[in-house]
Amino acid sequence: MIIINKIKITKSERVILVFVILLGVFTLGSLLIIKDKCLFVKNYDPIDIQFKNRENVAVLNANCGNVIIELYPDISPNTVERFKTLIRSGAYDNAAFHRVIENKLIQAGDLEFGKKENLDYGKVGSGKSGLGLIESEIDNDFKYEKGSVGFARTFQLNTEDSQFFIILQDEPLFEGEYTPVGRVLYGMEVLEKVKFVPKFNIVPRPDFINSLKMLD
Amino acid sequence: MILFRPILLFFILITPLEANTIYNLIKIPNLEIYETNTKNKLRYLYAAKPFKLGINIKKNIRCFDSNKETLDKKYTIINKNLNRYSSDFLKKISLKYIVLCEDLSIANINTAGIPNNVTRTLILDIKFDETYIERAIHHEVFHMIQSNYKNIFDEAEWKNFNKKEFKYSECSTCNNKWNLDTYNRTKGFLTEYSRSTAMEDMAEVFSHLMFYQDKIYNDDPIIKKKIRFIKKNISKIDNNFKF
Repeated sequence: MIIINKIKITKSERVILVFVILLGVFTLGSLLIIKDKCLFVKNYDPIDIQFKNRENVAVLNANCGNVIIELYPDISPNTVERFKTLIRSGAYDNAAFHRVIENKLIQAGDLEFGKKENLDYGKVGSGKSGLGLIESEIDNDFKYEKGSVGFARTFQLNTEDSQFFIILQDEPLFEGEYTPVGRVLYGMEVLEKVKFVPKFNIVPRPDFINSLKMLD
Repeated sequence: MILFRPILLFFILITPLEANTIYNLIKIPNLEIYETNTKNKLRYLYAAKPFKLGINIKKNIRCFDSNKETLDKKYTIINKNLNRYSSDFLKKISLKYIVLCEDLSIANINTAGIPNNVTRTLILDIKFDETYIERAIHHEVFHMIQSNYKNIFDEAEWKNFNKKEFKYSECSTCNNKWNLDTYNRTKGFLTEYSRSTAMEDMAEVFSHLMFYQDKIYNDDPIIKKKIRFIKKNISKIDNNFKF
């Protein structure tokens, strides 16, 4: 008959065991936190905010929450009118944030080649809305500070259509170059979480606008 | 075939990303801001490193960076001359960016400036001969004017001012008529370079008008006609323009 003596766990072994368990819990917890990129992003609900000109407020919903934009029809009447028309028709819903440059700008609104259901990597950025091109409105003073929203164009003036951009840093050289349409009032943090890929001009597997609606 | 699509997409997606705002605006690399706070809204940029430009891989336009001392000195001269154009006028002639660099050349031929009305840019060689640099600035500005208003500055009408037996060259660099000294006896042309092409002739008359202003006096009947032509047509663009 073999007798096996019960071996008592030593103090150092107990410390190692606790350490391993803690390490496991920490690793698992970190993975969950890191996976949720929106964890610390505040989501603004427009219902909780009072606006002076509700008719000129647009709400863009992205993966991490709402971006609330005030539009400036006094500065760029025709372009804001075009923007509102497209927003009201729901045209921007499911449009890709196809061009994202880290800490610089985010561009979206290609309604022909940039929609979730027919994203064309070869052509995205060159699509049209079908409403025709509009003239640049760059004569009025406007400071392109962080959060400013402008209409994108080709290399030439007067080629604005539906694409727009939001800048993530001040861009004084944009003044007098691009038609301004508004400014982000709340939700810059949401935009800073939009997917980008360093050195890539067009974002592969991009994030999308869930919805873009006028407040009223 | 299965691999072809992802490979093609890879090359499409990873086209070099130029996050540089200046490059995105005017497609000239290696530039930095020199001054943007100007009364006529011109934006002055300078070459921080040499750059090459061109529509194909040859990139036959070249210019080099300069030291701060030269930049500061030449900027004062250039700014003084370009300040004579109002922001409204500059807008009409599509001029917004002035690029300052050294030893500007196109196809290895040195030049004072290269205008581009599509990018609304004028590249200026700040090392250009000091004797002529002020006139050269206005000369290049005229090329911006002319390229925006080709219908107004009609070359055929201009050629009729000259004596019948005179013919311009095929291009401004097709001969060696590059001297910019003003003639004492003009005989229809202000400088030797005026004789190269009608466009350069117009630019020379314009630059003399800008540089000498009212002091320009000439009893040469051909020059008189040319001056009248330039003044009349500039006033069509901007009625308040002052030489």
